[in-house]
Amino acid sequence: MIATRSPIVRLGIQAASPLALLAGVYLLFAGHNQPGGGFAAGLVFGAVVALRTVTGLPTPLDPNTLLAAGVAVLCLTAVAPLLGGNELLDQQVFSFNVPLLGKVKSGSALPFDIGVTAVVVGMIMALLDGLGAPRLAKATQPTYPLSPTIDTTD
Amino acid sequence: MVWTLLALHLVGIVASIAFGRRSIHLGLRLAAVAPAATAIWAVVGLARRPEPMVYELVWVEALNLVLRFRTDSVALLMAAIVSGIGALVFIYATGYFGPDAEGGARFAGSLLAFSASMLGLVLADSIWTLFIFWELTSVTSFLLVGHNNSRPDVLLAARRALMITGGGGLALLAGLLVLGTAAETTILSELTPVDGIAGTVGAVLILLAVATKSAQVPFHVWLPGAMAAPTPVSAYLHSATMVKAGVLLMALVGGAFVDVEAWKIGGLSLGIVSLLWGGISALRQVDAKLILAWGTVSQLGLLVTLLALGTGKAVFAAMSMLVAHALFKATMFLVVGEVDIRTGTRQISELGNLYRTMPFAAASAVLAGVSMAGAPPLLGFATKEAAIEAALGAPGAEGVIALSAISVGAVLTVAYTVRFLWCTFGPGPDIAVKDRRLAMTIPAAILALTGVAGFVGLGMVNTVVGRAATELNEKSSVYELLRWPGLKTAFVISMSALAIGIGLAAVLIRRPIVAPPAATGANIADRGLDGVLALARTTTGRVQHGSLPVYVATMALVASLASIPFFTDVRFGHLEWWDHPLQMVFAATIALTALAGAFVRSRLGAALTLGAVGIAVSGLFVAQGAPDLALTQLLIETIVVVGFVTGLGHLNREFPRIAHTWRNVRLGVSAASGIAVVVALASASATPSGVAPVEALARESVDVGGGNNVVNVILTDMRALDTMGEVVVLAVVALGIAALASSPNASEEAHIEEAAS
Repeated sequence: MIATRSPIVRLGIQAASPLALLAGVYLLFAGHNQPGGGFAAGLVFGAVVALRTVTGLPTPLDPNTLLAAGVAVLCLTAVAPLLGGNELLDQQVFSFNVPLLGKVKSGSALPFDIGVTAVVVGMIMALLDGLGAPRLAKATQPTYPLSPTIDTTD
Repeated sequence: MVWTLLALHLVGIVASIAFGRRSIHLGLRLAAVAPAATAIWAVVGLARRPEPMVYELVWVEALNLVLRFRTDSVALLMAAIVSGIGALVFIYATGYFGPDAEGGARFAGSLLAFSASMLGLVLADSIWTLFIFWELTSVTSFLLVGHNNSRPDVLLAARRALMITGGGGLALLAGLLVLGTAAETTILSELTPVDGIAGTVGAVLILLAVATKSAQVPFHVWLPGAMAAPTPVSAYLHSATMVKAGVLLMALVGGAFVDVEAWKIGGLSLGIVSLLWGGISALRQVDAKLILAWGTVSQLGLLVTLLALGTGKAVFAAMSMLVAHALFKATMFLVVGEVDIRTGTRQISELGNLYRTMPFAAASAVLAGVSMAGAPPLLGFATKEAAIEAALGAPGAEGVIALSAISVGAVLTVAYTVRFLWCTFGPGPDIAVKDRRLAMTIPAAILALTGVAGFVGLGMVNTVVGRAATELNEKSSVYELLRWPGLKTAFVISMSALAIGIGLAAVLIRRPIVAPPAATGANIADRGLDGVLALARTTTGRVQHGSLPVYVATMALVASLASIPFFTDVRFGHLEWWDHPLQMVFAATIALTALAGAFVRSRLGAALTLGAVGIAVSGLFVAQGAPDLALTQLLIETIVVVGFVTGLGHLNREFPRIAHTWRNVRLGVSAASGIAVVVALASASATPSGVAPVEALARESVDVGGGNNVVNVILTDMRALDTMGEVVVLAVVALGIAALASSPNASEEAHIEEAAS
């Protein structure tokens, strides 16, 4: 695969990953008031994971853990209001003061969104696994340092 | 009490499977506990006659879905037969199976599961409860018939039995629905007479179920095949209990169909044809077990005939016959199983002189045989007398027809019984006999002696059967079984039948034993089933051809056709070119890149152009003022392009060349989908459905959800349940993909098989 053979692409993706993750986190938190949200954040994380997978870079989590954790968080958020005598999935809004940031308003929508994010990322990873991306990347993994005789006919 | 007994059966199933693995005999003995307890409970109930109880567990009240059992005389009588014979059969099986028999745990578990299902069936008081247990008996019967699952003929017989009785189960479901609706109740004991079309349809459907379960011609073809089962199963399921389920059903719902002509005509034709054909076929068999199986078809035909007559006398005769038949036929089967195990064969041509070598088994068989032939002084004599009396008392033409059929049937029954006894136990070639196994001899003897006791204590049988029959038909209360009827018409007919039957048997015994013709009915049933399977395979092969482009084309075409009704709604007059000039730019980009995607030859190029189309679409969303939508679209496109590129790693760089015709088809489908989308959008915008609730949503979003992003608040708060459902779907899809990807493909599978062999 082209991506694994090009050190530029590889390094570029490696360097951009933290920034993209930051962007994803921003989308996740901003989502309640501005464009973004759990689904979009999940897609950004998913894109990072996808690019890292195809270039043969390590990804820290496996899809099944993410899927399970995501669905678990969703279910907990859904059931938690019942304990307080509220309805299923009822939204609770809290606001509190955080040093440096000032007054912060948040709610149970945030964990809900986090659950969505986890499932979306897990789904993308499962898709990539299904397509055989990790195997493909491994098969074409170059040996560093690059040797001048590397085969580029494919 | 009923709950406790059913629970005891469940515990027994688990225990017999768990312990049966170690020792089959222990498993079978544990399995005998629950039926034995139930039999004692039922007999005590019959003797003390407490008020009938109703046990109910409501599931969905509005739909009358309840688990409901009753303990009236009919239920208790049937429960006593089912569980009493069941307990004896379990003991018998410990003799039938050697200590190291294969699949002992499976056998004990399945047989007890059947016993529990049959108990539920006879106690059921709601038509749905009855249906559930009816189906359970079909399934467990399938497992038991197919017990020797390494023999193909056994598997074929098991499949045939399941398909025919299962098909009857479907008819039963439909019939019960019709009956329940027409009678306005789902409680069996509260059914009221129905008539009209509903009555006829219900009667035909239920008769169909009766005919399949109780092996009535032409649905009897599964019963001889089911004799491939181990003999304890044949004795229990295919003579004493399961095949009686149809007869019991007929008795229970018969009251509702008294005014329906189809019930009487259909029942009589089924019963009479089975009575005669079963008897004739029994005379032609050379396998002792098959003689009994065909005899069962014949006897069940007699029961169906009596119940179709439906008079008080006939119902009484049917109930007493049912008891007698269960006793003598189970005995016969148990004896045949013992002969089979101890001599190694069931072919009557190879058996001989068993009256000397197996005296106890022969004695049991003779006692049961005398009862079966309807000769005095045994229970079968009194019940046959009652059957002939019932036919004599039936009015009109149906009485004459039933009487002649029952008389001829009696002759045939005597003939095959005598032939069976003579050829199996009488003089003939000597054959080596293994040692007696008490576990087999004693249950058969107990059942045979019960038949004698029944005649000695005929008054008791009268009371019990009379009560049960009276519950089914009030007019039954005045009848009783007679020990000595005196020289009346019925007695003359009965004795003539006995004489002619013995004469017929004497003629047949002198003739050489030849193998009967092949079972054409069974072959036709098997071929029909194979035909259906072949048709299914062909259809699946045609429809699920595995070509992805054709699937996509088919879906696109069907979706396009769905837009046809909207053509009339299209109004082009009010359509505007754009809301914002930028939209035109994006639209042009979309059109150009899409066109390029259609023409580009390299796969990577196509993936990139598709990505470009998607990104331009997200531009359109921005121009329309939907930043959330645009953001999501943009991200999706990114992921999709990465996915495409990954997938392309497996493929050639360029698209393969395609045939001219196929290309034209694809062009046509594409054009159709394009037109369909335009039509759908144009017609949707031509008929606006009210004003969008933007204001209300925005206000609610801030007040309730505490957020300014309306889209997000809708997703996480107002419609959070929808989101949750969708996310769960996503997770399930991901699991499905993982499963698909990790399952080996065809070539890998072949490789695995190669390695295994």
